[in-house]
Amino acid sequence: MDPLAAIRDTFFQECEEQLAELETGLLAMEAGATDSETINAVFRAVHSVKGGAGAFSLDDLVRFAHGFETVLDEVRAGRLEPTADALKVMLRAADVLADLVRAARDGGGFVETETSAAELRALLGGEAGDDDAGAEEDWGDFAFTPLGVADAAEAPTAGRWRIALRPRADLYAKANETALLLRELKRLGEIEVTLETSGLPPLADLDPEAAYLAWTILLTTERERAAIAEVFDFVDGDCDLTIEQDGADPLADAFADEPPAPEAAADLDIAALIAKAQAAAEPVEAEPRSAPAPEASRARAQEPAASSAASPTIRVDLERVDRLIDLVGELVINQAMLSQRVLEAGIARASGVAMGLDELEQLTREIQDSVMAIRAQPVKSVFQRMPRLAREVAALTGKQVRLVTEGEGTEVDKTVIERLTDPLTHMIRNAIDHGLEGPEAREAAGKPAEGVVRLSAAHRSGRIVIEVADDGAGINRERVKAIAAERGLIAPDAVLSDEETDNLIFMAGFSTASEVSDISGRGVGMDVVRRSIQALGGRISIASRPGKGSTFTMSLPLTLAVLDGMVVTVAGQTLVAPLTAIVETLQPKACDVHSLGGDARVIAVRDSYVPLIDVGQALGYRATPLDAATGVALLIESEGGARAALLADDIQGQRQVVIKSLEANYRQVPGVAAATILGDGRVALILDIDTIVAVSRGADLARSERRMATAAG
Amino acid sequence: MTDIQNGGAARELISFRVGAQEFCVDIMAVREIRGWTAATALPQSPDYVRGVINLRGAVLPIVDLASRLGFASAETTARHVIIVAQIGAQQVGLLVDAVSDILTVTDAMVQPTPEVASDSAKAFIRGLIALDGRMISLIGLDHVLPDLELEAA
Repeated sequence: MDPLAAIRDTFFQECEEQLAELETGLLAMEAGATDSETINAVFRAVHSVKGGAGAFSLDDLVRFAHGFETVLDEVRAGRLEPTADALKVMLRAADVLADLVRAARDGGGFVETETSAAELRALLGGEAGDDDAGAEEDWGDFAFTPLGVADAAEAPTAGRWRIALRPRADLYAKANETALLLRELKRLGEIEVTLETSGLPPLADLDPEAAYLAWTILLTTERERAAIAEVFDFVDGDCDLTIEQDGADPLADAFADEPPAPEAAADLDIAALIAKAQAAAEPVEAEPRSAPAPEASRARAQEPAASSAASPTIRVDLERVDRLIDLVGELVINQAMLSQRVLEAGIARASGVAMGLDELEQLTREIQDSVMAIRAQPVKSVFQRMPRLAREVAALTGKQVRLVTEGEGTEVDKTVIERLTDPLTHMIRNAIDHGLEGPEAREAAGKPAEGVVRLSAAHRSGRIVIEVADDGAGINRERVKAIAAERGLIAPDAVLSDEETDNLIFMAGFSTASEVSDISGRGVGMDVVRRSIQALGGRISIASRPGKGSTFTMSLPLTLAVLDGMVVTVAGQTLVAPLTAIVETLQPKACDVHSLGGDARVIAVRDSYVPLIDVGQALGYRATPLDAATGVALLIESEGGARAALLADDIQGQRQVVIKSLEANYRQVPGVAAATILGDGRVALILDIDTIVAVSRGADLARSERRMATAAG
Repeated sequence: MTDIQNGGAARELISFRVGAQEFCVDIMAVREIRGWTAATALPQSPDYVRGVINLRGAVLPIVDLASRLGFASAETTARHVIIVAQIGAQQVGLLVDAVSDILTVTDAMVQPTPEVASDSAKAFIRGLIALDGRMISLIGLDHVLPDLELEAA
């Protein structure tokens, strides 16, 4: 990737972070936090986005952010009261800002900013006109007052300019980039750049957030001084800058002859410059501060206090983390193999070797947990998208909603988080659109007009549990039943418990909205949510109380890299069945198993009959069915909620296994979800229970056909 | 090693034995050579896929080359060898009887495959090399793994 694209990527990544910070801050202010730290954080977020956007010439974004910033500055200065209404305007402005950033990143189309911009101007009240004019002047007309410069006459023809640039730490803190300034200058004409590193202290004394580098640029251009000054518009005041006309004086020539000067102006090595500039700028960007620019030496003294606030983070390529996870998975397998070998060798438990191995086992477990924790991220990144969604849906439906989030810090694997967004979005929409009543209906029911949707996350017994609860009317069971009957999902006279009725909404082809609404209709219902949760190895359930509201509870695995499985033996093969699907294990008695003709068998489980599937037969490991009484049955519940019993020869035990892809080097195999590597170093297959259940239904047919063909031939 | 004769750029091939026949593949496709370890059988797979083994954490399918090329498949012993080959983005283990030599040949030395009826010959054999009175068939690996063909079978 070329350096500029990399910087651009970083900018947008940081924008996302700043936008998140902005929204969090605004929401905190809405909840009553008006301390200067919160307000500053909000201001800083908008300011950083603006600064970065300026460097990339994203004019729309800069203009809007500037207007927003002006309002926030008023709030910061205490001249504008952050009332609830003002904050609503600001939250909308934050949404528009986010849209602008995304449009800039993805090259998207036009974003309507005028409504929000007008709202912001209105906040500034009577001075709005003046202030806005001032802003326009700031950004439209690039009037520039050179700093500490002899007032040289403007040269209309080609001239040589000597520009001395010494950035202060603040320049980088505001997400500006020297390299980009240099690039801008290059657009004006031919430049010769000299980097002055004499101010650079030894590494040990280096303050990563300070600015040590200075540049001297010789620019040959036909443009006027104002055009040059314009380049530095964004860093005005954050650097020592002199722009002098450089006549053909001997000084310039002497300068050009200096060894460190680049050989030819045209061959300016931007990449190297960027690398140099980045080295100076990057640590600063990680933690932008808006404190007044101190001298480098003083900045160092202030450092510890400032950096203790935010915990330091690094950006790492996901591929590297995954590689590490793979290797640790290997380590765990290897350690298990070693333990097995030692056991086989008959070494006493109390021996030094065995004890050392025990310690190794503990260490490997710890390493595995720590490595998995690298991929784990707080659910915050998904949760923080929801307030905006709630605002939009509330505006569309005319309902009043307060979204309360809890447990944002709960960590779960990155992949799980990514795949959580869609179902959660859908559920929040549903909760507001279908769950909550309108303000009048709520007041009639003696509830506050504002409905509450509670989104919470927590760790519970090795899984993450996410709840979406509303305080609406609850599920209208009569209507649910009526609709289910109408759609032919249940018999019209079916007798269902409340729980069974509630669960009808998860059935495919069910949607309670009497008409397809813009928000949660479109024919996609809770069955899609349920399916995507199940695809993640999770489960979803609903609890509803009439008049009090409904709660959807999702339980998900913490990671997709490992799986809790039941290790079983089938026809000499070792297989793993995902534990989530298993309801219970049974020891079938001969009298419980009944034949339905052919190989089809059912097993009686507490007075109900479920199909008994011989896994060995279903996978083609053996031709003749296993005698049920000699095996073990796993009672499972498949995706559609249908039950079946899988017949295996033996159960080896419960184990956590590392999931390995079969498709990477081979392809998908029907009935096999993935593979894993067991303690003996051999590959074991993980069963795809739903496919096995489905295949076995059809396979009965195929087998009988084959038998008839052999009989005939 | 063989003398390079005139004609074309030289390339290196690894030759191996499958049954009584000798075959070779481009050395650039070969990642490593390892001893036989028992494979885990895969359901719903063609006969020539022996199963999968653990290659340092990756799941590697094993193709019995004898069976794939239409010869009788022999009982595997510890003396059998797995050639780990790179085919596109995938790695595949090829089960062969023994690896015999590294050959340096030029394009001119590779004779076109004569017209024969065998489908497997058409699908896999890219050319023949005559060397010291031996015939070595150059194999293309593109179709070694089953793709959609399985569903048709």
